Amino acid sequence: MKLKILFALFVAIFCNGYLHAQSTDKILFHPTFGKSALHLDDSCYTKDSIYFSQLKLYISGVEFLNKDSIVWKEANSYHLLDASDEKSLYILVNSPSDLKFTKIKFNLGIDSITNVSGAMGGDLDPTKGMYWTWQSGYINLKLEGKSKLCKTRNNEFQFHLGGYQNADNALQTIILNVSENKNIDILIDIEKMLAAIDLSEQNQIMSPGKEAVLLSEKFSKIFSIQKQ
Amino acid sequence: MSNKSIIIVLIGLFIASFSIKNEYIFIVPKNWPKPHYDFTKNILSENKIELGRKLFYDPILSRDNKISCASCHSQFTAFTHVDHALSHGIEDKIGTRNSPALMNLAWHKSFMWDGAINHLDMQALAPMSNPLEMDNKIGRVVASLQQTILYPKLYQIAFGDSIITGEHTLKAISQFMLTLISANSKYDSVMRKQIEFTVQEKNGFELFQKHCGSCHKQPLFTNLEFENDGLPVEKTLNDYGRMNITKDAKDSLLFKVPTLRNIEFSYPYMHDGRFKKLSEVMNHYASGIQQSKTLSKQLQKKIVLTSNEKADIIAFLLTLSDKEFLFNPKYGFRN
Ligand code: HEC
Ligand code: HEC
Repeated sequence: MKLKILFALFVAIFCNGYLHAQSTDKILFHPTFGKSALHLDDSCYTKDSIYFSQLKLYISGVEFLNKDSIVWKEANSYHLLDASDEKSLYILVNSPSDLKFTKIKFNLGIDSITNVSGAMGGDLDPTKGMYWTWQSGYINLKLEGKSKLCKTRNNEFQFHLGGYQNADNALQTIILNVSENKNIDILIDIEKMLAAIDLSEQNQIMSPGKEAVLLSEKFSKIFSIQKQ
Repeated sequence: MSNKSIIIVLIGLFIASFSIKNEYIFIVPKNWPKPHYDFTKNILSENKIELGRKLFYDPILSRDNKISCASCHSQFTAFTHVDHALSHGIEDKIGTRNSPALMNLAWHKSFMWDGAINHLDMQALAPMSNPLEMDNKIGRVVASLQQTILYPKLYQIAFGDSIITGEHTLKAISQFMLTLISANSKYDSVMRKQIEFTVQEKNGFELFQKHCGSCHKQPLFTNLEFENDGLPVEKTLNDYGRMNITKDAKDSLLFKVPTLRNIEFSYPYMHDGRFKKLSEVMNHYASGIQQSKTLSKQLQKKIVLTSNEKADIIAFLLTLSDKEFLFNPKYGFRN
């Protein structure tokens, strides 16, 4: 008797899942330097012999829009992308398979409410190294490396961008047009970033403030959809 | 009763006793405001508090396994650093500020003398990572806790997961700190009309309300705001307080108003521990106030106090000592 009920329940759950089939599309992020994939540590990029040792950034609040209305919103949407960890570079999407959308919208960084809500887990866990310790707040983005242009110790540059309070709020919203497609491939072109700043002048930003906001705005412009 | 039903009753009792023991009810003292801490995001339980207490007393949090939170926040001095003007950390390194007394933290909106920390949960990260304090990293702390025999078990009991995370570690430490409530001093008994002040204490209380009460506001004895109480800048430290965080000149020399509960035991005083005795503090307010653009308005007019009146205020301040808090074994070190 009991077994039968269990079986019926199982069938019901299974059918339910089947009827509301969800596509598990992926949003894939591709860190690049111009036309080539971004490598950390070993590779040197010709222009000014640049090396990269770290690229980590938070993507949050992922939404799909049809024209201008939101048609899907990821729940609990916080993702730490780490250029050195392939697995971290894609987001599985469980939106309905027949969903029509023309745009993807997401934030670069962590919103101010999350910033003041205490300890969190998962990608937001402070052990991920993306939280300032001497002053509360998430680090939205870390880019570190070396360039001959930097007259610093070991020619190093370090950008730790973040800040959530008032004028120091560094959160950026990014909207990209997408053609209907199974996977969405998003390029993050660091070369564009370096073209927008002068490394000999600007090579260390480690705390919230005007500079961090300006640089975050520049970072928000290096995201683009990969043309098929 | 059959054997079977006895077993069922026993099991029921067991489960009930477990859940009763594990539940922790946070009691807001009578006539106190609502706490600021959002308990719904970190529901208190006896097991989590107990884990937090263990972590608070365990030097495993520091790089060299020698400094615990309690090294700078010991119970018998209302959880501040006894006798040190500036805190004293790893390898005898001296910090840049005096460690504040810890109590009634559930009501606080921000932490540190300059409010650098925005949430109690995130507070422990600061000393763990400070090279002059514990000089460690939360990632390493979590890894070393995971390698012990004891901690994975305690995390399993507390959080239902033996995999140790930064989130659970910080939340457990918060839980312990949230239970540090001091609300049972002579002053509190007087307010509850159980006993009475002496004539001197009563006079001191009236003077206190007039001159000090707006910043050191009852019942917490802090308004939890940032104020400039007229201390001249210490030239070796050049600490401008709140302005370090907001970068706004209006916040120059503003510091978080400290509680005065248990002030008898939490010397030395002020953010840099410049005063050893309450009489020095009284002399500061009566004749040491340094005028400046950001001096809080309550102190812009000179406070005139006779030496008897100063003594009366001190007599009142001593009624804020809460022996039950200072010696409560619940808050202490246990093995
Ligand atoms: C080396 C000494 C030292 C150690 C170790 C230490 N603290 Fe502190 N603590 C301080 C000092 C100094 C301050 C004030 C710092 C400031 O304002 O910049 C402080 C501030 C605090 C505050 C803020 C109180 C308030 O009213 O704003 C809390 C809470 C606290 N510490 C908890 C802890 C915990 C939990 C630990 C262990 C993880 C710890 N401390 C370890 C010295 C220490
Ligand atoms: C304008 C607000 C203000 C007023 C009024 C005020 N205080 Fe303070 N008090 C503060 C601030 C701010 C601090 C911390 C200053 C610092 O460390 O730089 C402080 C610190 C103290 C301390 C040291 C506490 C500790 O733990 O180190 C004592 C004691 C004290 N005040 C007593 C008094 C008394 C007594 C009066 C009345 C005569 C008074 N205060 C009036 C703002 C005020």
